[in-house]
Order: sequence, then structure tokens, then C-alpha cells
Amino acid sequence: MVGVFVRLKLRLIAGSLKGTGGRRAGFLFSLIAGLLVAIAGFYFLSAPRAVDPGLAADLGIIFFSAILTMWIAGPLLMFGLDDTLDPARLALFPLRTGQLARGLLASSAVGIWPLASLFAMTGAIFGVGRSVTGVLLGIVGVPIAFACCLVVSRLVTTGLSGVLRSRRGRDVLAVAVILVVLGTQVPGLLLNSGLDIGLEAIAALAGVLRWTPTGMVVHAMADGGLVGLAEIVAVAVFTVACAWLWIVALKAALVRPDASSQSGGSVRRSRFGGVLPEGVVGAVAAKELKYARRDPRGRVTWASVLAVVVIMIFSTRNTTGGEPIVWMGIFPVWLGGLVMALQATNSFGIDGRALWMNAVVYAKPEALRSDLAGRHLAICLIGFPLLAVTAVATGLLTRPEWILPAALVGWGVMGLVFAVGSFTSVYIPYTQPERINAFTGAAPGQGGQAFLSSIGSMVGGGVLSLPVLIPVMAGYVWVSALMPVLGFGLAWLARRRASVIGLRRMPELLADVSKPT
Amino acid sequence: MTEAVRTRGLVKAFGQQVAVAGVDLVVPAGSFAGLVGPNGAGKTTTLSMITGLLRPDGGLVEIHGADAWADPVRVKASIGVLPEGLRLFERLSGRELLAYNAELRGIPRAEGEKRAAELLAVMDLTESQDKLVVDYSTGMRKKIGLAAALLHNPAVLFLDEPFEGVDPVSANTLAEVLRRYTASGSTVVFSSHVMDLVERLCDWVSVMSRGQIVAQGPTDEVKSGRTLNEAFLELVGAGGSGEEGLTWLGSSSG
Repeated sequence: MVGVFVRLKLRLIAGSLKGTGGRRAGFLFSLIAGLLVAIAGFYFLSAPRAVDPGLAADLGIIFFSAILTMWIAGPLLMFGLDDTLDPARLALFPLRTGQLARGLLASSAVGIWPLASLFAMTGAIFGVGRSVTGVLLGIVGVPIAFACCLVVSRLVTTGLSGVLRSRRGRDVLAVAVILVVLGTQVPGLLLNSGLDIGLEAIAALAGVLRWTPTGMVVHAMADGGLVGLAEIVAVAVFTVACAWLWIVALKAALVRPDASSQSGGSVRRSRFGGVLPEGVVGAVAAKELKYARRDPRGRVTWASVLAVVVIMIFSTRNTTGGEPIVWMGIFPVWLGGLVMALQATNSFGIDGRALWMNAVVYAKPEALRSDLAGRHLAICLIGFPLLAVTAVATGLLTRPEWILPAALVGWGVMGLVFAVGSFTSVYIPYTQPERINAFTGAAPGQGGQAFLSSIGSMVGGGVLSLPVLIPVMAGYVWVSALMPVLGFGLAWLARRRASVIGLRRMPELLADVSKPT
Repeated sequence: MTEAVRTRGLVKAFGQQVAVAGVDLVVPAGSFAGLVGPNGAGKTTTLSMITGLLRPDGGLVEIHGADAWADPVRVKASIGVLPEGLRLFERLSGRELLAYNAELRGIPRAEGEKRAAELLAVMDLTESQDKLVVDYSTGMRKKIGLAAALLHNPAVLFLDEPFEGVDPVSANTLAEVLRRYTASGSTVVFSSHVMDLVERLCDWVSVMSRGQIVAQGPTDEVKSGRTLNEAFLELVGAGGSGEEGLTWLGSSSG
């Protein structure tokens, strides 16, 4: 039975090789990344052999704890992509729970990432084990630590599988992806802010993490004595206990009613819907505002925009050495406006397969023009106040008299990106997958369009803002008042032209935004 | 007889594969018309081209005499569409979806709200009106889709597989609403491969096979004394009773 599961997993991996170019590229990418992680991890863990044993053990403990964390978080984010993770898929096969458990465990050990982490972990035997007994404990301990990772990860996914299959659970997870991405930025920010991450910090961190199951294994290797042996035994017992818990959870999950068919609650009716103008502009803007709030893609977009803005404000403060220059006061707001407006470079992407509803109505270019205007209006309604706050924060950190010019520049550059984005939206539209993926924001095979559209609009918006930016940088700060005029004038012209093109291309546009993902 | 829908030589190919090979569809005004055919006959492709969602490679589409691709202003206001695949704005509630459609169609807000409330009541969706469409069941999605298509009181309604995956109670509701609608002189064109349903509801049938219309006319004429299912199987040339092979199937011992 174990063999069948391993073969199933290998088939699933091989299946991704048969897919389209995009999927094959994705597989190749993870293969190379896995290889790099394996080698780099092995090196990182084995190289400390040259340094002080205490430091080597500390680094090993931190690394092993990180691997365990990744094993817990990774499969949660992959849920729905790896079919062997969901016990419900296998519930109807005539299998005993024991067979199923062994099979699932074996299949989760197969794959690029499991092998990469096992290989990296063996590095610790060379790097941390300094005595014969330490090495021996390592040879026993590393497989136990690996098994611990597998079992804990399975326990978590199985325990949460009911939640993960429901629409709300998936929505929450989709937004959690952004937290993971942002989490990787924290060390960089801390370094930037000049916090001293010295040896004491490492020792303090390792002092806590050494009590995690995988951290204990590294500690045992460094210890090499009876304490180490006891630690390895403790981790083994912990792993067995988790395995038992997992089997209990698996049994429960196999017979529990499917939570995915439970419907969600009601949504609050809009209180401000009446404020928006009647007609296409108001309707589309109201819909976009609801999507920014309710669709995981909308939430992720605005959360990442917010993150960019905060990071920009943060780094402005830190790069300020002597007297602030105009650029420092303007740049964060300008970039914030640019990034916010990037949502308008594939305006119809978020509608996806539902765009036909608009297409069967729009008979004249004016209708599509109002549609684009509605989408731009929605971004402005969220973006303008956000940029104002950014301008105030930046101004207080540099010079208060730059607040208004910065805000004007930020608001104006949004219009410039809207102008370019109106054209990219109708010429190179692409499908935005409903499941958010850290690597691509487009359907398989449309990565090129997505790249061209966002980079094109970013560069376009940047270049178009130069006529205002250059005089402002040169000290003529009042020129910033022209930015909104330029931006929204061009956006108006662009919508006029792009709507004619878009209406003509509507069937093609529909096909491009409703590709299977 | 005035024609609500007429296509001439409608053609569409996807690469090498010809999906629709010269369709001449005729639907008289005021009829409840069924477009039937086996999977892959080109029903969805034909309906998509008629409703302006898919560009034809060749041919002509006329809705009440107006060219659908050359004169969209006249045509789009007079048709309602429910395409295949239940593609709706998932993150709007049923009520918001109707309000959105009403505003796009230029129906004044108050009037739109009144119509939406009535449609929701008829479709038995009043209780779920504030739930997101993403949480709706198949039957509820078909009903809210139909409500959205009816909101602007179109002269012709195109529905792609409106009864597929719908429970009997919802199907009955849908059928009742459509019957009332055609009784007032409006036209319904719907695709299906459930022959009993088409036979029961439709007074006009067009049979498609391999990208072409192989028969069309009043239901009784097309049937010519047989059941619609028998007539259909003969028209599309379905052979074989499925008795060859599969000797192992049935009277299972374990």
C-alpha cells in the first residue's frame, strides 16, 4: 500500500511535467530552487564546523526550528494543490486507517521539498556533531527530526482540513500568504534600522528554540552525552505521540461531514452605496470597493500596497543623514501612488469569467469608458486618503512644508498610471487566478502579459511624471500642483481612446480574462 | 411569421477544430424554443456568437431584424443572456448582483430595487438575498442568473443549459417564470440535452449535430409522431444499443 501512495505522488509530480509550458516552467523552477535550498542548507549547517561549537549549535538550532516552521506553514499554503494532503479525497477507497496513515506519510516524504530539507538537515551532523557520540546521535536524530517534521505537518493539515476546504478558510489562508511574504521582509527591515543582531541575539534566540522538537535534536548532537540521548528519545516519543494524534484526527476527518458545502453568512448591506453616482460609473465603483474588501485578491493587493508604503516611510527616515532633500519627502508618496494605481493595469482581470455580464450590456464606447472610470474612481476612493496619510507621515519625518506637494504628486501619478493602464487593460489583459500564488499573478501561459502590463505601466507612469518631477526636484516645488492636472487629464484622454479599442476587442478580452487557472 | 432570431451561415473554428459549420438558426417571435444536440454539437458556441460574447469567423446574426454584430446598440438592449458555466460576480450578494445589473442597464435605482425584490421573491431567493453568490448552490445560481437576465425585460432571452444541475423545485420555478414570460409575446431560446424537458416546454425545436442544424420547426413537426427523444436519436444518427462488450457488468457477486 505504501508503494501505491509513493507511486501516486510520483505520478502527480510527473503530471506537472506533462502540462503546459507555464506549469513545466513552474516545476523546473521548484526543482532548481529545491536543489539550491538543499545545497545551501547543507553548506550552512556543515560549514560552522570551522567556528566555535556553541555558535555552530545555536545556528543549527535556529535553522532546524525554521525547517519545522516551514513544514507546518508550507502544506497549509499548498492545500488544494497537493491532492495527497486532503484526506477527504481518499475517504471512499477501501483502506484501513493504518494503511492510509502509512501511505500518506510515505507520500509526503516524496517530492522535491522533502528531499531537499532532509539533505540540508544532514549537514548538521558534520557541522554540529563534534564527538563520536554526537555524530552517532546525529545519524539517529536527523531522520527522527525529519519524521517529526512530516508528522507534525500532517497533523496540522489533517486537523484543519475541514476548515481549509470551506470557502472562508481558504479566504483566510489566501490572505495569510501575504503575511508570509511580509514576514520575510522583517529581518531586512531590522537590519536596515540598525538594530544590532549580534552573537548575543543569536544565543538568546537559540536558547528558546532549543526546546522545539527539532531544536532538541541539534542540541543533542552538540551535547553528545546522556542528556543528548535523553533528548533524542524525547523527540522520538513526541513524534510517535503526534503520529497517534494524527491517526485519530485522520479517522475523524474521514467521517466528518464536508464543511465546504456549508454556506457563509449574510453580508452587510452597503450604507454608502447611495452616495455614489447612479449609472455605470457608480455601479462599477461600488462593485470594485466590495471586491477590495471581500475578495482575497483585493485584500492581498491593498495589504501589499500598504506594506510598500510603510516600508517606504520607514526607509526614508533611516536614510536621512543630514539635511533632508526634496526627493526624500516626495519619493515615498510618489511610489505609493504608482503602486496603488498598478491595479488599474489589468482592470478587467478581477472580474474574470464574470465580465460577460458587463459585455452583454455595453453597446457603445461611452459605456466601457464609464466602466473604466468607475474602476479608477474606486482605487482613488481608497488610495487618496491613504496617500494623504503617507504624505503627512513623510512630511513630519522630513519637512512639513512638503506634505501638500507630495500628496499632489502621489495623487497625480495615479492618474498617469491609469492612463497607461487603460491601454494595457484592453490590449494585454490576463486572467488573475482566484488562488493566489507567490510566484505568478497570471494564468499559466500569461506570465508574459502580466509582466509586460505591470512593468510597462510602472515605467510609463514613471516617465510621464518626469516633466513635473524634474522641476520639483530642482526646487520649484509649486510645479507639483500640475501633477494631478497632467495625470487626470491624460487618464481622461486615455479612457476615451481605450474604450473604443476595448469595445472592439471585447470578445478577445473576455477570452483573455477567463482562462482556466 | 416574424423572426426573433435568425442566423445565416454562422461559422466558428478553434484552430483545426470546426465547432460551428454554417448554422442557419430560425426562431419565430413569441416562441419557447429549444436548441438540442449532443455534447460538442456546437450549441454553446452558437449561443455565444448570437449574444455577442464570441466573435464568429463568418455569417450573420439577426435579432428582430437587426444585425447583432453591426448594430449592437439596438440588439444588446433587447436581449437577456444566461451563459453556460454560472459565471457570476462571486463576491456580490444576490441582491447586489441584481442592483449592479440594473444600474449597468440604466434602470433608475428605485425601479431596479422594486424589480429585483419581485424577482427575488418569485425565484424564492428572498431569504438568501444577502448571502454572497460564491456560497450559492447550483440551483440558486441559475435562478439569480435568470433574474439578472430578466431584469431589463428583454424581448429575447438566451439561456445555455438553464436546467442543468437544478433541483426539481427550482426547475419548476424557472419553467413557470419562463412560461409566463413567453405567454406575453417574448421569446426564449434555451439549449438542453434533456429531451423530456424540451418536449414538455417548447413549441419550437432546433436540432444541432456536428456544428449544423439538422432539423428545426414546431415541436410536433420535428417529432412527427415519435417521442422527441426517438426523433432526436434518429436525427443525430446515434447507433448501437450498448449491448456489445461489458459482459462482466451486472449480477455482481462481490
